[in-house]
Amino acid sequence: MKTLRVVLVLTLVSVFSAGTLSFFELLAEKRIAENEKREIEESIFTIVPQTEKIEEVKDYYKLFDKEGDLLGYIFLAEGQGYQGPVKILFGLKPNLEELLGIEIISHQETPGLGAKIDSGEFKQQFRRLRVLPKIEYLKKKPSLPNQIQAITAATVSSRSVVNILNKKIDQIRKEFKKR
Amino acid sequence: MKNVFKKGLWENHPIFKQLLGMCPTLAVTTSAINGLSMGLAIIFVLNFSSGIVSLIRKFIPPQVRIAVYTIIIATFVTLADLFLKAFFPSISKALGPYVPLIVVNCIILGRAEAFSSKNPPKLALLDSLGVSLGFLWGLVLLGSLRELLGAGTIFGIKVLGDFFEKWVVMVLPAGAFLVLGFLVGVINYIERKRR
Amino acid sequence: MRDLFLIFLSAVLVNNFVLTYFLGICPFLGVSSSYEQAVGMGLAVTFVMSLASSICWIFYHLILVKFGLLILEYVVFILVIASLVQIVEMFIRKYSPSLYQSLGIYLPLITTNCAILGLVLFMVIRDYNFIQSVVFGFSSGLGFSLVLVMMAGIREELKFSDIPQILKGASITLITAGILALAFMGFSGLISS
Repeated sequence: MKTLRVVLVLTLVSVFSAGTLSFFELLAEKRIAENEKREIEESIFTIVPQTEKIEEVKDYYKLFDKEGDLLGYIFLAEGQGYQGPVKILFGLKPNLEELLGIEIISHQETPGLGAKIDSGEFKQQFRRLRVLPKIEYLKKKPSLPNQIQAITAATVSSRSVVNILNKKIDQIRKEFKKR
Repeated sequence: MKNVFKKGLWENHPIFKQLLGMCPTLAVTTSAINGLSMGLAIIFVLNFSSGIVSLIRKFIPPQVRIAVYTIIIATFVTLADLFLKAFFPSISKALGPYVPLIVVNCIILGRAEAFSSKNPPKLALLDSLGVSLGFLWGLVLLGSLRELLGAGTIFGIKVLGDFFEKWVVMVLPAGAFLVLGFLVGVINYIERKRR
Repeated sequence: MRDLFLIFLSAVLVNNFVLTYFLGICPFLGVSSSYEQAVGMGLAVTFVMSLASSICWIFYHLILVKFGLLILEYVVFILVIASLVQIVEMFIRKYSPSLYQSLGIYLPLITTNCAILGLVLFMVIRDYNFIQSVVFGFSSGLGFSLVLVMMAGIREELKFSDIPQILKGASITLITAGILALAFMGFSGLISS
């Protein structure tokens, strides 16, 4: 009798918990998906403010301006940072040789140090940065159009961003060449 | 009645007196706003779980009580997590895994075991309200102090001018320990003065 | 092999659970006053962490993800951890009474140790595969034990030092932990290439 009661109570509580959660998940699901979509769109406008139209192609976006001319492409890259995965949204010019800019979608870097990869100052360096032969990072002021300056005391995080971008861009260039 | 509520606010303050729930206390107080959001999430979870535990306290077989409490707490934590993701995505991102970690926050299980499982809902709610509000002001104070020292701002508003050399270490993990350590010292001092 | 070694180094020294993620602070403050207790607790946590990471990995990938039950993630994790601790306790009590004598009292405390749930959550966020998860679990436990034992050593010495009255107790322990965390920041240069 006693065991029966234990099992009964545990089952009831679990059913109640699973029921409540699935109900609220249904309610929130749409909103969460919308949030994610809105965030991507907002980031795209931050990277390329003159965008008028975004066209989604399977794993990237095409951007057009008022006249309908192609402004560039937006890609999402993901890779390992210092403390966890880093997700970067970045824009490439149609010739695939220059960056339009980057936005950090998510990261887990140390607050105050590595987290500065999400600061305007750092991201600004990627505007109109040449990606050929590849992006490089320095610990001092950069002199070439394909170089950026790493964040002081957070070289690992800075390097991760550069590596993630280089890897993805390399892949994109190969894929686009095939077409 | 009133005493039950007031206890958690100062006399038995969860952070400064009992040193419970240290993990969110130290981890998310890198800024005042993060502290505030975590405090609100805890108010939600603690009050609802205390209320429910107190309501069904007579039906829970003692052998599995901890399991039942944890399921209830985990349910409300998931709800809080869902809510933050849906309505405040940026806060949800800033708090990261520390929202789900409320499940194992010893304050919540502690209140369920020590108080709400033995008292009627009204008293249980008063108790949890006091404790969670106490927790809230603790988090906001710690968050504001660390933000002030580490970035010169409070709630993102510049307080200290450019003359101030930022102590970045204060928003780093080591700073969390140091600030809380000295704060506990200050509270001890106030307490001694009052006596 | 290299990435496994990096996970190991990172979890033990660079991103130590106690000193950078504040996980497992409750036992850290509670049982770190004596060296012997710290060793016992450290062993128990390392053992449970290694087990928890592998079993939760299986539950997460083979059940939760497969059947679209991610909403139950936290409920399932905490139940798995609680039952795991209970089973380990019964098993040790039956087969090794001497081990139970030394570890037994720490086991129930581990269920509410946020380090275990934290470990599992980080494992999911970082998307580790099975082997990486096991290594991560073991090395996080080792890192926890290391800091716990160091802290116990320092606190035993602190007993004989002259501390201002108002800082006695929890206060000085937290400040000591802060200094330890500062020292551990020096390791962050380890993983740089």
